[in-house]
Amino acid sequence: MKKLIRILGLETSCDETSVALLDVGVRGETVRLVKHVISSQIDIHAKYGGVVPEVAARTHVAEVVSLLTSVLGRRPLEAKGRATAFDAIAVTRGPGLATALRVGIQAAQTLAWITGKPVIGVNHLEGHLASAWLLPENRRRWTFPALALLVSGGHTELVVMRDYCRYDVIGSTRDDAAGEAFDKSAKLLGLGYPGGPVISRFALKGRDDAYKLPRPMLHDASLDMSFSGLKTAIRREVEIGNREPFGFAQGRLGTGNRSINDLCASIEAAIVAVLVAKTIRAAKQTKAKTVLLVGGVSANARLREDLTRAVRRELPKVAMLKTPVKYATDNAAMIAAAGAWRLLRGETHDWKKLDAEPELSL
Amino acid sequence: MKRKIHSLSKSGSSARRVERASVGMTRVRNVHDWPSVARDIATKLRPGSVLALQGPLGAGKTTFVQALASVLGATRVPKSPTFSMLRTYRVHRGPIRRLLHVDAYRIEHERDLAPLDLDVELSEPGTALVLEWPENVKKWLARRPHATLVIRIQKDGRTARLSR
Repeated sequence: MKKLIRILGLETSCDETSVALLDVGVRGETVRLVKHVISSQIDIHAKYGGVVPEVAARTHVAEVVSLLTSVLGRRPLEAKGRATAFDAIAVTRGPGLATALRVGIQAAQTLAWITGKPVIGVNHLEGHLASAWLLPENRRRWTFPALALLVSGGHTELVVMRDYCRYDVIGSTRDDAAGEAFDKSAKLLGLGYPGGPVISRFALKGRDDAYKLPRPMLHDASLDMSFSGLKTAIRREVEIGNREPFGFAQGRLGTGNRSINDLCASIEAAIVAVLVAKTIRAAKQTKAKTVLLVGGVSANARLREDLTRAVRRELPKVAMLKTPVKYATDNAAMIAAAGAWRLLRGETHDWKKLDAEPELSL
Repeated sequence: MKRKIHSLSKSGSSARRVERASVGMTRVRNVHDWPSVARDIATKLRPGSVLALQGPLGAGKTTFVQALASVLGATRVPKSPTFSMLRTYRVHRGPIRRLLHVDAYRIEHERDLAPLDLDVELSEPGTALVLEWPENVKKWLARRPHATLVIRIQKDGRTARLSR
């Protein structure tokens, strides 16, 4: 039996085109990222204030071939020393934009057809969970049950992991995802896209208690969250602010003794407070031994700090494992890692039947 | 129109009751008023119906769709479709079996609607469609019979008006 399995990961579900080669030991003991390339479309989509499916798909088509070439070389089927450059293919099958997903899936199908290698259609959300597993230190400290806060532009979910590939979603947003709350807040303030990094940058110089913004469902027993009410509150503050001589929507100047920095800090604090409180509550309820922080919004410095501090204070015996910031946003390394979890359990898909599943859940 | 609503609201009816200020115009004081609007619209929906939802960020478009889905007997609660652009809900009330929730917020060019295959989706039996940000897909809408629910933000709540 071969010692290492080499998995080719492909991710095209949304903004990023990404290809990775991941070596994994047959019992999951070794994990080594051999190659990893990501091509982001954020600059293209910034113009539109969000992802545009047709643009995304067209860009993926152009990028996927060039990324595959840079990872596998020009003649992957003649790779020296091994029959092919990889042993299995892991590709995102959903959730995501159908047209974007199909670009990656068709590339995977083509490679599977030519090489006869097995394909694993990966759930993108499972990929985010596996992103934390790419860090050796996290793998060492990882024990079940684990409670994951999965936060991104499209998802805000609390997931109990009872084992690899065994999940229960025990809480989620009832309306807007946390990343979407950042994006739309930024839009209301006339700032750029993506909203999270922009708001965080302004927030650094602001006072987070300058504005009283709602923290819906913070104290109720449910593990669900809601962020849509934030928009109404921000709109009200912007309207009040704009009545001041130096209204902040345009000139980004202060109103009275409060500034747009203060408002951004208050927005970030409101979103983070809800995420942290719900995660701690969920971890207590499920008697989790590990808390995982994954997804694009997990790159938010305030969220990383506040959640780490809260876990240390309230759950001192629980391991706090964060996805490395470089693997927080969509990437193929995490897809290959989730593919490894499935492959090591003997799960593969028939490539002929693989199709995009835009509304797939965990 | 606005003045008319205000004068009506002063006439002393209970705060929870939704008032009709004029034909098709409904005052929505808070989230508890949406189910009543949704019930009214649910009785008008037929397979193939398209309902455009117009209103600014934070007007309550998705909140209305949540109420509508609940009235139609959906078990899942709709979430914002901004990221996924299209979400489907199985419902079971009258002839409607499937509710499509589409968000054109991120659509810049009409051609970007094409990959969603809405015409095909709508031809599925028992399917009705609600569409947020119709301003972004005017041409597509112009080709189909549809009704528009216009939601406006007022000082003391929202108004919702159904027009053809």
